[in-house]
Amino acid sequence: MKKLILTKRISQSLFFILFVYILWSTTYPLKSSISPEIIFKLDPLVLLIISLSEKLILAGIISSLIMLVLALFLGRFFCGWVCPLGSIIDFSGRDNKGVIFSDNRNKSARKAKFVILGIIFFLAILGMQVVWVFDPLVIAARFVSLNFIPAATFAIEGFFSWVIRTFQLYGPLYDFYRSLKGSFLGVKVYYFSHALVIFAYFLAIFIAGYKLKRSWCRIVCPLGAMYALIARFSLFQRRIQNCNYCLKCKSACRMGAIKDDLSYDKGECILCMDCVYNCPQKITRFSFIGWGFPLENKVNNAGGSGISRRQFLALAFFAGLARPGNVRAEILGLKPVRQKVLRPPGSLKEEEFLNRCVRCGNCMKVCITNGLQPALFGSGLSGMWTPQLVPEIGYCEYHCTLCGNVCPTGAIPKLTEQEKLKTRLGLPKIDRNICIPWKDNKECLVCEEHCPIPNKAIKLKKVEVNGKIIFRPYLSLKLCIGCGICQTKCPTRPERAIKVYPVRVTHGEV
Amino acid sequence: MKRISRRQFLKLFGLGAGAMFFTHILSRLGLAQLGKQKFNNRMKKDIKTDHDLVAVKGEDPAAITKKAIEALGGMARFVKPKAVVLIKPNIGWDRAPEYGANTTPEVVAALVELCFAAGAKRVNVFDNTCNASQRCYENSGIKKAALAKGAQVYFVDSWNVVKANFPFESTMENWPVFRDALECDTFINAPILKHHGSTKLTLGMKNLMGVCSGNRGLMHVDLGTKIFEMAQFIVPELTVIDSYRYLKRHGPAGGDLNDVELRKTVIASADYMLADVYASRFVDIDPNSIPYIARAIDRGLCSPYLTGKDIVELTI
Repeated sequence: MKKLILTKRISQSLFFILFVYILWSTTYPLKSSISPEIIFKLDPLVLLIISLSEKLILAGIISSLIMLVLALFLGRFFCGWVCPLGSIIDFSGRDNKGVIFSDNRNKSARKAKFVILGIIFFLAILGMQVVWVFDPLVIAARFVSLNFIPAATFAIEGFFSWVIRTFQLYGPLYDFYRSLKGSFLGVKVYYFSHALVIFAYFLAIFIAGYKLKRSWCRIVCPLGAMYALIARFSLFQRRIQNCNYCLKCKSACRMGAIKDDLSYDKGECILCMDCVYNCPQKITRFSFIGWGFPLENKVNNAGGSGISRRQFLALAFFAGLARPGNVRAEILGLKPVRQKVLRPPGSLKEEEFLNRCVRCGNCMKVCITNGLQPALFGSGLSGMWTPQLVPEIGYCEYHCTLCGNVCPTGAIPKLTEQEKLKTRLGLPKIDRNICIPWKDNKECLVCEEHCPIPNKAIKLKKVEVNGKIIFRPYLSLKLCIGCGICQTKCPTRPERAIKVYPVRVTHGEV
Repeated sequence: MKRISRRQFLKLFGLGAGAMFFTHILSRLGLAQLGKQKFNNRMKKDIKTDHDLVAVKGEDPAAITKKAIEALGGMARFVKPKAVVLIKPNIGWDRAPEYGANTTPEVVAALVELCFAAGAKRVNVFDNTCNASQRCYENSGIKKAALAKGAQVYFVDSWNVVKANFPFESTMENWPVFRDALECDTFINAPILKHHGSTKLTLGMKNLMGVCSGNRGLMHVDLGTKIFEMAQFIVPELTVIDSYRYLKRHGPAGGDLNDVELRKTVIASADYMLADVYASRFVDIDPNSIPYIARAIDRGLCSPYLTGKDIVELTI
C-alpha cells in the first residue's frame, strides 16, 4: 500500500507548493490568477469566528462551509492531505515510532484542542477575536510570507550579487540576475521587523512536531478540532478484517487515534494511511460506510472526541471570567480603543480592525514599499502582528490599492483608485528643531518634492535670512492624506523632521 | 554533560579560526568591495556636431526626436559601432505620461531605435526612482516602449555602485554612483523639462541625480553645486531635453493635468550646459535663477546668453 502513502505525500507537496506560490505571487502587480484571499476563504474557523465576533456574515463563508461538508464525507482529509502547516510538520521527517500513549493519555491530550476551540468560540461571542493565535493556515501563511519568502529572496539575491561582484561577472550572468529581479525574485528584498518572533512561534510548533509527530494537530489545533467534531460522523471509515492484534497500526498512528482494542477515534484520524501501510497482514482498509467488506468485530469507531456537556458549561463560565478586564471595558464602550499606530489605507475603526484582522500577513507581503510591518506591542497586546505603516521603512504609495485587495476578512476594505487618493491614514507634523530649512537655514524641501498630492500638501514659505532667500516647508493639513512619503524621504537622521501620526479624521476635515 | 579533551578543544578552536579566516578571505574577495572601488570621471569627448543646439517642434514626439538628432549630424556622431549606450530618462514618478512627470516614452523609444541603427551593441535604460520602481517603470510607459525597441531596461542594484573620485575638490566626493553610468561608451541624458520646487526647473544636469545612489535627500543641501559637479563628473555626450509636455507647477511630481502645457518640442545638444540654458530660456526662466546653471556660470564654464551659438529651430 505504498501507493496510498505516495499519493498522500504528492498531494501534500502539491498543496504546499501551491500555497507558497500563491503567497509568493502576492506582490505588485498581483497578476496571478489565484488571489491569496482564497486560502482563508476555505478556512471555516477563521470565517466563522470573525463573523461571530463581528456579528455579520463575511463573504466567503459559504465556500468555507463547503469544506465542512466535505469533512462530513471524507473526515479530516484536510489535515492529512492539504493543510500546509501539517505538511511542514510531516516533512520534518520523523516517524512516530517509540512514542505510544495509553488510551487515557491520548484522550486527555486531544481534549486540549477542543478546550481551545471552545475558548475561541466564547470569546468570539463576547466580541473578541483570538483565532489569529491558533489558526494553522494563518500561522503557515505568516511564516511563509514574513519569514520564508524574505529569507529565500535574500539568499538568492545575496548569492548572485556575491558571485557577480567577486568574479566580476557583469556579463550574461548579471543580465540573468536582472531578469530574475524583474520577474519572480522581486525588485527588493523585503524585511519585516519582529520577524524573529513570528519565526520563533513557528519553530516551537515545528520542534514540538519533531518530538511528537503532529503534536500541534493532536493537541492544539482548533481548526483540527472543528473538523474532528464533524469527522466523527464521516462516511469514510477505517476497517480491519481477520486481525491478529499485532498493534503495529497503533504504534504507527501519528495522531494517536487507534485505541488498544483497535477501534479508532474517527474524529482524530487524518487519513494519513500509515496504518494501511504498516499493517503486516495487509488487512487494514479505508472505505465508505456500506461499501466494501463488513466489520469483523463490533468496535465503537465514533465517539471519544470532544468534551462532555459539563465540561462545556464549565468552559463557558471560565472563558467569561478569563476575559481581561480592560478589554471588556473597551468592548462595553467604557473605554474607547485608541489607535496607536498608522493603519493601512481605509482600515476599519481600531476596535473593529483588531477583531477583523487575522494577522495573516497578506497586506504586509503585498505592500510595494515594505512600509506595512507587523506590530509587536506597539498597538497593545491585542494588536500583536497587526499591520502598521512604518514610514521610516516605507510609505503608502499614492496610487496603490493592493493591501485592500488581498485582505481576506475586509479589515482593510477594497478601495478603488479614486477612493484611495482621498483616504487619509494620519496627519504629519514638522519638528522645526530638526527640519534643515527651519533649524539651519539651508535648502532642503525633499518632502515638498515628493508630496504626491497634485496641489501639494506641503507648502513653501519664502524667507530671507542674512541676505539669502530660503524656502521653509509648512503643512496644508486639509489636503494631506498622511501617506508618509515625506517622512520616508526626509533626509535627517536619526529622527525625521516630519512625522505622520495616527489621527482619525476623514479627508478634507482637519 | 560530555567533557571534551584538550586535543578536541584545540581541534575545534582551529576549525573555528579556519572558518573565520575563510569567510574573511571570501568577504575580502567580494562583499568588502561593496561600493569601495573608486572611479574617475568620464572623459569629455570632442564630438563635432553640425549645430550647437537643435530644437524641433512637431506633433509626433518620436519624429521630432529623430529630426533633432538628424539635424545635429546623426546618431553615428555619438554612438560608434559596438558601443554600449546608456539612455538615462526621467522615470522618477508613478505617473502616466500625460502628467509630464516622466520623459515621454516615445522619445526614449526613438532614441533607442537611433542608437541601434547607429550600430550600438547594447542600450541600457534605467533610473533610480523616487516612487516604487516597479510602478514607475510600468506606469510611465517607458519600460514597455524601450523594451519593444530592444533596449535593456532594468532596476538599479544598490550594491552595484562605485565611489566618485573627482579631479577637483567636491562635496560629491565618494558619493556612490551606479557603475553602469560610468561604464558606458555613450551617455545620453534624456530628461523632461518640468518645474521643480527647490531648483525651479528640472533639466539635463538635474536629471543626473538619477545615477546617484545613497541618501539622495542629503544632496538637497546646496543642491545646485552638487548637481553641477555631478554633471561635470558624468559629462553626458548627448542631452535630449523632452519638452513635449511641460509641467509648469507642482513639480517634480505633478499630478494635475491643468499644470501641464503642451510645448511639443525636443531640444538636443552635445553641450549639456548649453542645452539647459536654452531650455530655461525656452520656458522664459532666467538661467541665473536656476542654481546648477548659476553655478556653471559662476565658474565661467557657460554663458547665460545664447548669443554666438549656432542654434537651429525647426518645425515639422
